[in-house]
Amino acid sequence: MASVIEIKNLTKKYGDLLAVDHVNYTIEEGEIFGLLGHNGAGKTTTILMLLGLIPPTEGTAIVNGVDVIKEPLQSRRHVGLLPENAGFYENLTARQNLLFYAELADVPDKEASERVEKLIDQVGLDDKRGVKVSAYSRGMRQRLGIAQSLVRDPKVLILDEPTQGIDPEGTQDIRKLIRTLSKDRGMTIIFTTHVLYEVNKLCDRVAIMKNGAIAGIGTIPELRKQVNADEGEDFEQIFLRYQGVV
Amino acid sequence: MAGMLTMAKKEFLDIIGEKKFMLIFATLLIVILVSAYQGGLSYSESQSATGSFTFESGQGRGRVGNTTGPVMVFGSAQSLSNSLESMITNFSLVGGVLAIAISFDTINNERQRGSLKTLLSYPIYRDSIVYGKYLGGLLAVTMVSVVSFLGGMGLFISVTGIEMTTDTVLRLAMFFGVSLVYMAIFLAIGLLLSIVLPSPSTSLLASMIVWLSSIQLIPNLGYAIGQILYPVRMTFSQTGEPSFTQQTGFTTLRTIISGLSPSTAYENIVNSLLTTSSLEFTSGTPTVTSISVTTALMSSLPSLLYFVGLLIAIFAAAYVVFMRQEIR
Ligand SMILES: Nc1ncnc2c1ncn2[C@@H]1O[C@H](COP(=O)(O)OP(=O)(O)OP(=O)(O)O)[C@@H](O)[C@H]1O
Ligand SMILES: [Mg+2]
Repeated sequence: MASVIEIKNLTKKYGDLLAVDHVNYTIEEGEIFGLLGHNGAGKTTTILMLLGLIPPTEGTAIVNGVDVIKEPLQSRRHVGLLPENAGFYENLTARQNLLFYAELADVPDKEASERVEKLIDQVGLDDKRGVKVSAYSRGMRQRLGIAQSLVRDPKVLILDEPTQGIDPEGTQDIRKLIRTLSKDRGMTIIFTTHVLYEVNKLCDRVAIMKNGAIAGIGTIPELRKQVNADEGEDFEQIFLRYQGVV
Repeated sequence: MAGMLTMAKKEFLDIIGEKKFMLIFATLLIVILVSAYQGGLSYSESQSATGSFTFESGQGRGRVGNTTGPVMVFGSAQSLSNSLESMITNFSLVGGVLAIAISFDTINNERQRGSLKTLLSYPIYRDSIVYGKYLGGLLAVTMVSVVSFLGGMGLFISVTGIEMTTDTVLRLAMFFGVSLVYMAIFLAIGLLLSIVLPSPSTSLLASMIVWLSSIQLIPNLGYAIGQILYPVRMTFSQTGEPSFTQQTGFTTLRTIISGLSPSTAYENIVNSLLTTSSLEFTSGTPTVTSISVTTALMSSLPSLLYFVGLLIAIFAAAYVVFMRQEIR
């Protein structure tokens, strides 16, 4: 398998604070990759640098073979992003919002409208497609955010806390969607979450961040082994060991 | 440029879909129609005033009389600028408010609701975002201006029956163009403040302060500074009677400082573009000198250059700050 993302010595400093601290790893094509860590560990900062949205203090990343610093525009051409706390244009409907993003991504008109309708169904907003976003609940907005991240039919999908604020049924749908996108379409998916159950169920590999650095990386069995976890310990306990709490 | 037109289109739809926009648009339209109508009436009166005005030689003061000669003179001295004066003032007030209402939260609103990161994650240049959003605002402002001008001018023309000579059409077209630039300036001010200030409520307040400075504070400041540097001279005649003279420097300084305000600059430019003739009294006889479009244009050229320069400078500042800003 080829690596789709190569993170090289990636670093972000805010004053004296090392938000991301000289991080190195690769993510392979078709992988579902979980990025974990305490609040402020540096997950969102990493993601924003992967998209060339904030400049790294040091290091760089190669996404789909393109350097995010040298060619930011080209590097994000095949990447879909669901940002943390994504917002929308309140005066526009779900459909109008998604069509706008499709147009930004240069999706041909006919294809765009078909894709938009399908995505609205997939995220469970079918009865809201013509309603202005100002009348949406938080979970509905999050669902729309997921649809937005897929509107450009990306090769790499990056989701910052995709299931936050979504009800259990919706969460299950989104997990199914992630799995399908990975297995059927070979999409590489990276997501952050605080729901460890989700990680257990979905991820091929996981990176655990602590204070900007990588505290552990690998498959869940590998992570278990590295901290010599007992048979009975669940993933939550293992995670806490990496965070230095236990 | 990739994404710019998409951005502009969305921005335009977003703007005209808002209630506040429609509200201010309606206000502007009403105010323009009313002042155009009144302007039309006063123009007609001055034109058809046959037999009701004359001049007493040497005093330059109108008085009811029966002669016809000088009346025509007075009539044609009523410039477009006099008739449209209140329309101009109203446009400078409400037009500025409308432009600010459109643009004060252009960027910080995107930032605050969390759509800016989404936007920037698409393969578009940052330039396209500022240009596109500004263009969307300009489209909205152009639509507003076209509607209010067509309405206002239509009313003015039908009330006055004024002959649409090339000269008149040219002047009115320039009036329209300068009004667009005026709104574009306030649009750019709002844009800049929405980039520099983190929250929409702060940038709204700041925009309103700028607007107030433009219509009131700067002109007042011009007066005050003029007074301080060139105080009124008091002299006593031989009989001991005091007389006051304004020094010439006062007017110059006051004009320069007031002219820094976009609103005053706008009013000055439009007034001189619409001045078709001037009335002077040479040794007691009123004479009317007509002023050609070219002359009017030349005399407002310095203000016009300042006006356009101001627009470019403010937009350039907004652009530069936005391009360098971190997005989180
Ligand atoms: N604009 C900023 N200025 C200064 N420090 C910042 C800025 N943005 C983030 N930080 C800091 O960088 C660190 C990493 O933040 P980041 O948002 O990446 O954390 P995270 O892992 O995504 O956390 P969470 O789980 O809460 O989303 C934090 O300590 C945060 O305070
Ligand atoms: Mg985060």
